[in-house]
Amino acid sequence: MVNDSHPDPKNNIGGVHKQAFLAGIWRENPVFRSLLGMCPTLAVTAAVRPALTMGLCVIFVLTCSNLVVSLMRKCLKPHLRILMFTLTIATFVTVADLFLKAFQPRMSEILGPYVPLIIVNCIIIGRAEACASKKSVPLSILDALGTGLGFTLALCVLAGIREILSTGAFFEIQVLPVQAQGGWFQPWAAMRMPVGAFITLGLLLAAVNLLSARKS
Amino acid sequence: MFPEIKHFVRQSWLLLVTSFCFGILIAATNSALAPTIKQNKINKLNELMSGLVPEAARFELVGQFEVITAKGAKATSNIYKGLSKSGDSICYSFNGQGSGFADKIELVAAVDKNFRQIAGFDCLSSNETPGFGDRIKPLLWRRQFAGAPAVKLKLVKTGDPEKIDNEIVAVTGATVSSQAVVNIINNYLMQIKEQMQEKGLISNGQ
Repeated sequence: MVNDSHPDPKNNIGGVHKQAFLAGIWRENPVFRSLLGMCPTLAVTAAVRPALTMGLCVIFVLTCSNLVVSLMRKCLKPHLRILMFTLTIATFVTVADLFLKAFQPRMSEILGPYVPLIIVNCIIIGRAEACASKKSVPLSILDALGTGLGFTLALCVLAGIREILSTGAFFEIQVLPVQAQGGWFQPWAAMRMPVGAFITLGLLLAAVNLLSARKS
Repeated sequence: MFPEIKHFVRQSWLLLVTSFCFGILIAATNSALAPTIKQNKINKLNELMSGLVPEAARFELVGQFEVITAKGAKATSNIYKGLSKSGDSICYSFNGQGSGFADKIELVAAVDKNFRQIAGFDCLSSNETPGFGDRIKPLLWRRQFAGAPAVKLKLVKTGDPEKIDNEIVAVTGATVSSQAVVNIINNYLMQIKEQMQEKGLISNGQ
């Protein structure tokens, strides 16, 4: 007799992969649920464009580092693993930084030191330790893509709110008529500054917690 | 001896191999992208210099001058000569840097061919506080420098920003950033002017 409550793991591979991808987007969102990667979250979210660029850089670094760490997981010496993770992450961050400097020089200037600082981003080293060093390559890549996407979405939501309130624009497209151009909206300068980032993040965290509490 | 080496290799072979591979990856990426990155910097400098002196058709590197920064460190500044379409020298431009409120400020400034009048300045890079210190970047504040005499500039907190003289009115709420810009221009302008006069590239004004 077949027990339906314990499906064959072979048949559940799709579900495991789906879970690995979706977890990072909402249930284990690095910004809203785990409060990781706070430095770029607060520093580069004054506008959507730099936030999106930072998110894409993190997706690239996270995917590449998870791929490499997963490939060498069986050869990793426990006492050298953090060194290996940092070496791997630093390499891909350097590559991403060079690409930004070459093809997006303006964005590279805006992001400044926050791209090299991805090396010490807890999200990436956390996923290397918790997932890539233990799981297969496909699972590690899906985990990286999901977590990276979750991080990027969080950054863009935060940046979208701050950009609209601080300039009346979204993605550099004017959506609210500002007073300086004869409109009614007075931009909130504070939203461009760190205080705006802290307040917006706090309110978003409260909203996410409220939604999660209602859902559960 | 051999067991020790064997143990060392067994423990670190992965680290050595990955370090080598990653080193090659970074070196290859850098060598492939370095020309583009260098060109981007030149383009930005040219763009800023052309913005300061629109009459200049092209800029030629005159040389690198050594400048002592406000902190006493040695720095180099690239001096460019701005040429008109007919090839006449119409201005000089130089880059300089110094400490701002939040971070280092790098700027490019231009003066007339005799070093008597400032044509203006623009920021190459600065990470000053958004909404306050970063107001040193817009033309609204920078235009005070255009036409100012190429003598030691003085920062004042109140005054008429429309009046073009050696007094620069600070950005409200960003005196440190404003002072940093004035200090950088004063420091580089005076030292470069002196060296240019010594080398006979410009007259000594007598």
